[in-house]
Amino acid sequence: MNESGTSGNEPTVTEKVRELIAENEVLLFMKGTPEAPQCGFSMRVVGILDQLGTDYAALDVLPALDPLREATGEIADWRTFPQLYVKGNLVGGCDIVEEMYASGDLAGLLGVEAPPPNPDAPAPGAMPPASSGPIQIEE
Amino acid sequence: MAADLAELQSMIEDALPGASVEVLDEGGGDHLRAVVAAPQFDGLTTIDQHRLVRAAVQTRMDDGTIHALSITTSLPAAG
Repeated sequence: MNESGTSGNEPTVTEKVRELIAENEVLLFMKGTPEAPQCGFSMRVVGILDQLGTDYAALDVLPALDPLREATGEIADWRTFPQLYVKGNLVGGCDIVEEMYASGDLAGLLGVEAPPPNPDAPAPGAMPPASSGPIQIEE
Repeated sequence: MAADLAELQSMIEDALPGASVEVLDEGGGDHLRAVVAAPQFDGLTTIDQHRLVRAAVQTRMDDGTIHALSITTSLPAAG
């Protein structure tokens, strides 16, 4: 129902996002879907979660980018995507997820076994080549 | 518009006294990386460390000077 009289009961985007975060132990806000990421940073986080073999829920932010930016800004003081939430808390975006993956902290947080060292995985502090790194599109 | 790396560096240094700060241009003048070692990071999660750095330059993100900011944080070396 969308009549104005129901506005008091309509959950806001922020309330819906809070619910999603509470209901999903591992939740990824990303641009695109795990099968078809639309952003290099989102793709890298998906790759890490797949590597760890953890179950996670993914939400494509592109259909409602601005309202979701507002909502996550309000909830977690973070407005860029991807965002990974674990057990109700924002872990971080691509940078932090990659750093914690490399250090083994992410596996610990997710309660999974760290995979054997992967030669393709970025070393802590490793930077992508500036010229060919993925470009994050911001509004 | 290219960001003023020195200005950003001093914005972070002002917000985090005692920090060692390096701001690098990773492409095009608006994709930047801040490498920050600060005593204020002690006991914080990585995301909270990043929040502190980002908050220091938030005005330059809001006005579009910075398009993307990657952040690398650490505690200052002991001693």
